[in-house]
Amino acid sequence: MSENDIGTSRIDRHPILEFHRRKELTIYYHGRPILAYEGETVASALYAAGVRTFSYSPGLDRPRGLFCAIGKCASCVMNIDGISNVRSCITPVRNGMIVEEQKGAGTFPETTVGDYETASPELEADMVIIGGGPAGLSAALEAADLGMSVLLLDENHQLGGQLIKQTHRFFGSKEHDAGVRGVTIAKSMIEKVEASDKVSVLLGTTAFGYYPGGVIAAVKENKQLVKITGKRVLLATGAAENSLAFENNDLPGVYGAGAAQTLMNVYGVKPGDEVLMVGSGNVGVIVSYQLMQAGVRIKAIVEAMPKIGAYFVHAAKIRRFGVPIYVGHSIKRAFGNGKVEGATIVKLDDKWQPVPGTEFDVKCDVICLSVGLHPSYELMAQAGCAIKFIPELSGHVAVHNRNLETTVPGIYVAGDSSGVEEASIAMMEGKVAAISAAFSLGKPVGEKRKEADQMLEHTQKQLESLRDGPFGARGRNGKRKSFELYEQLTGARV
Amino acid sequence: MKDRASVVIIGAGVIGTGIAYNLAKLGMTDVVLVEQKRYSYGSTGRCGGGIRQQWTTEENIRLAKASVERFERMNEELGIDIGFIQGGYLIPAFTEQEVRDYRKNMALQNSLGVPTEYMSSEEIKELLPMLNTEKMMGATFCPTDGHANPFAVTEGYAKNAKEMGVDMELFTTVRGIDVVDGAVRCVKTDRGDIETKFVVNSAGPYSPLIGSMAGLEMPNKPYRHEILATERFKHFLDTMIISFHHGLYFSQTTRGEIVGGIGNPSEKPGYNLSSSLDFAVRMASALIDFLPQFKNVNVVRQWAGFYDVTPDAKPILGEVDGLQGFIQANGYSGHGFMLAPIVTELMAELIVNGKTSVPIESMNMRRFKSRNMVQEANVVG
Repeated sequence: MSENDIGTSRIDRHPILEFHRRKELTIYYHGRPILAYEGETVASALYAAGVRTFSYSPGLDRPRGLFCAIGKCASCVMNIDGISNVRSCITPVRNGMIVEEQKGAGTFPETTVGDYETASPELEADMVIIGGGPAGLSAALEAADLGMSVLLLDENHQLGGQLIKQTHRFFGSKEHDAGVRGVTIAKSMIEKVEASDKVSVLLGTTAFGYYPGGVIAAVKENKQLVKITGKRVLLATGAAENSLAFENNDLPGVYGAGAAQTLMNVYGVKPGDEVLMVGSGNVGVIVSYQLMQAGVRIKAIVEAMPKIGAYFVHAAKIRRFGVPIYVGHSIKRAFGNGKVEGATIVKLDDKWQPVPGTEFDVKCDVICLSVGLHPSYELMAQAGCAIKFIPELSGHVAVHNRNLETTVPGIYVAGDSSGVEEASIAMMEGKVAAISAAFSLGKPVGEKRKEADQMLEHTQKQLESLRDGPFGARGRNGKRKSFELYEQLTGARV
Repeated sequence: MKDRASVVIIGAGVIGTGIAYNLAKLGMTDVVLVEQKRYSYGSTGRCGGGIRQQWTTEENIRLAKASVERFERMNEELGIDIGFIQGGYLIPAFTEQEVRDYRKNMALQNSLGVPTEYMSSEEIKELLPMLNTEKMMGATFCPTDGHANPFAVTEGYAKNAKEMGVDMELFTTVRGIDVVDGAVRCVKTDRGDIETKFVVNSAGPYSPLIGSMAGLEMPNKPYRHEILATERFKHFLDTMIISFHHGLYFSQTTRGEIVGGIGNPSEKPGYNLSSSLDFAVRMASALIDFLPQFKNVNVVRQWAGFYDVTPDAKPILGEVDGLQGFIQANGYSGHGFMLAPIVTELMAELIVNGKTSVPIESMNMRRFKSRNMVQEANVVG
């Protein structure tokens, strides 16, 4: 067991969120009983109890804490009930669970644990959607409305993706939920999906491959193979947080901004007491404000660019509270004994090089990296979709056309996995993908078709207007590149 | 790119790069290697990395033994860690007939100096306590068999060959081969022509296509073989386990992954490199049968490669009758990697000296005309 502080950092009072804690359970961390609540993850229970180190790196034996907290990296893998390499951040707690730090590579299981199902159910739907975030939920509702049967998969145990942690009010037109908090939008969409008799939901189910013949293979609760055939497939797998190169960037306490958000807004656990935020884009500034709402002090925000990246209103809120924002600065290193105790900040010159002699230290116990995300394109690549690196879309994406169809006919993408933008765009893209998929199946007909035609045109126009102006330039240019590449690769004009 | 060279090698797998290395070592550096993709792309980088001497024909046993001796000193020779783990190959027998056959093979292997031993099922349990030995009647085990990293070996050959002066032309596709008066004259590529007196056909599964450019009809055919890798574990398994009964093999790499495959008897020849769910499921069930803890293990990758299969499962080596300067080095039928160290040395000798230190006449392509073939039986799938 490592030298972790013992204590609790459960949030009891929050200005926006209410945490209804469910049944109390006990898990055992290196023999020590730890209080956990049904429905939370192993990582959140441990974190609330003061555990900061989850694993040690295979090469250099360095302590590792959380990084993404949504199952997209391997920073928090632990030995759980005798099984190694388990992502503690997406594994729900069970009473009596035995949890241990993982040192280096995993250990081959000494005995078999639990049961597995040998039968593999074969499921079918008009539209199979991988990923239940804003894009996937919106697509599921639209597809159902157009008369398609829908199967929605998510590897997490709850729907909503990253939308369930967005406590801020959204921008955009009134029609698209402007002024409504992300959590509220998520709740409403999830309720509709759950009420729909056209949509089936499979949670805790990881789609791991798209095989010849259009079969999607998934594994349910880590113990059963499920074979799924969809007439149309939407891959809405989201994005993963970027890291940044600096000394000790793997020290426990250096987290993606989204991880801090997940801890506090989903599980009601305070990530720390004093936070340094790296990056002043919308995510960095919004998460800073949310951290303050959770009772965390923001020591400073550093931004490599010469000006703040976020919308003015978000940045102004932070400034009003006297949080210093250092533009033209970057983090040089993190320091601390086994966990973050502070960071050294340095000024950058106009060639992005550190200016010697300008270093100063900030004391903090958490460093949040808000330096962008990259699309989760693995499943698209495996399925054979043409993949290109498009910087404006923040990384590798499956090349797609205006209807969000990839170069593999029948496979669509939407949301951050098709290019990192934001949730309103993700929801609209989900809609466009669903309508395009329905049309390709000859659905719907008659009056309903006319309505859908109008809806498609309307949504496309809204996407254009959201990408209008300087803040939308990246997305606008990135999407244009994708559409052009699609034409080049397929010879089709859409 | 050069427009003239003493030797043009086609294919940058372990065979092509190995021949380049051995030619350079013998002083022949006026060599161009052309490869349509990159190092290890075709077959080498897709293989399981196994190295065994437990064969059923004398030629294969001799070649494999000579190769093992070279793998043993390869780290030093190439200045690269090839990840060689000499933990032995265990070949369990599941029927009385298999026990008889394997004992007979062992006798032949022993007679040629390979230290294969017989193990009772109790002895297997002692060697590998985790293994489900319930249905095993016994096994042969050769402690000097093992496995290595195919990428590292190829890279080692290529790096050393380059340093000695061989030109490596990657992403270069061969479009044709000119033959004049029964002798090779020129290799035509999408990046220019190279005049030469020697062409080495080490294109693995694509070698029949290269052969046809020189007017040859070759008997080898590509068969897809699928393979997978699990998540990484601390080292726990020294031994490569191979069951001809199930058509299955697996071992643990130096990185810690379990890598293994299972044959598919109904696989048809052809250039299909897709991965199937059927394979993943069959392999997973088979692994769980051998070692029940596999049910708690995640697969992280699966892929496919080709066996370049000849009618007798033995390679095609040497100059083609009536086609002077056209050297075959292909048809390894799924065991090219393990034979590479010796075979590439012999091919270089053939080109430089006109003869080989170990006779390879019985592996010449002419054997398929005379129907004078001895079948190799120990092939997976």
